[in-house]
Amino acid sequence: MSVVSEQRKNLPDKHLETVINKEVITPEDVLRIPKITDTYLCSPDANIFEIDFTRFKIRDLESGAVLFEIAKPVPENLEDNPDKTTENEEAIDPNAGRFVRYQFTPQFLKLKMVGATVEFTVGSKPVNRFRMIERHFFRDKLLKTFDFEFGFCIPYSKNTCEHIYEFPNLPPDLVNEMIASPFETRSDSFYFVEDCLIMHNKADYAYNGGVST
Amino acid sequence: MGFLTVLRKMKQKEKEMRILILGLDNAGKTTILKRFNGEEIDTISPTLGFNIKTLEHRGYKLNMWDVGGQKSLRSYWRNYFECTDGLIWVVDSADKRRLEDCRAELHVLLKEERLAGATLLVFANKQDLPGACSSEELKDILELEKIKTHHWQIVWCSAVTGQNLLSGIDWLINDIAARIFTLD
Repeated sequence: MSVVSEQRKNLPDKHLETVINKEVITPEDVLRIPKITDTYLCSPDANIFEIDFTRFKIRDLESGAVLFEIAKPVPENLEDNPDKTTENEEAIDPNAGRFVRYQFTPQFLKLKMVGATVEFTVGSKPVNRFRMIERHFFRDKLLKTFDFEFGFCIPYSKNTCEHIYEFPNLPPDLVNEMIASPFETRSDSFYFVEDCLIMHNKADYAYNGGVST
Repeated sequence: MGFLTVLRKMKQKEKEMRILILGLDNAGKTTILKRFNGEEIDTISPTLGFNIKTLEHRGYKLNMWDVGGQKSLRSYWRNYFECTDGLIWVVDSADKRRLEDCRAELHVLLKEERLAGATLLVFANKQDLPGACSSEELKDILELEKIKTHHWQIVWCSAVTGQNLLSGIDWLINDIAARIFTLD
């Protein structure tokens, strides 16, 4: 595999620095961040609503094929002995559940219509004005922004949301570069309740599956 | 220029429509939503929350919300009324025992102020089942002729076979478009 030249600009980013130090991070704050963040902008504990993502799915609308699906196993016997489980578990990376790595083949970038589904559960509290902002970058180039308000979520509910969208029309040069540069396509997903950041997830993407290097 | 006119103009720019799908539990709301979007319908379980689909259809951006219909969830329906352009009321045409319940819930809904501007499409679903009421029969049982506050239409369909789903939804979209996007 060729070594991809890293052109990480280390210019001070005033806006990002200000945002990181804020107590409450708002949708307007993240919409102005011009790149992928180096850190998570909130701690896992900020999710006081116990919102839990339990499934991600991507399908091709033309063929109907499911291209990717990952589901969280349903926890069994949680009430059995909660203390025991925590003791027996090894030191878990607190960010483990916040990051997903996707590996696709180059064909993925040729798709026309894609449906991306998330499934999530909500804890005992009702959730108001639940909003997601997802920003996809290749290096420092913004490819796509999703901004969607789920609104109200019922306590103890299980909900799904599928965004069906036309794949952005990317110039061939860019596509080739994205295929040649695995995991330099990345996304930040920010989740807000009443305009306050409560979750921040990250993902990265490779499109060179099955390509010999 | 009034506030409503401003709102209309804003929506016009994006041509966005918010469609709310309601009805009693087991009416087939989720199956209709999935079938309309070309998804498998063999593993559908009762909705204990909502299912949203956002999609482009005929140049419009549709946000479709299917909210669970179990009795314990119906008190939450009102949280989803805001900004609704179209209401799809799904009826299990073969569940004759519950048609009275279905009629009552629908008429309560239509009194809601926040749904006042919404077009109503009634889907007489499950027409593939033997003994299903026809849409003419349902029009009487559900007392649809009494509705003077909303544009409405009843369309028979089968979510399982997919029959008539598209024509129903197209009627809804045409009616909304005529009300919202061509007014000036």
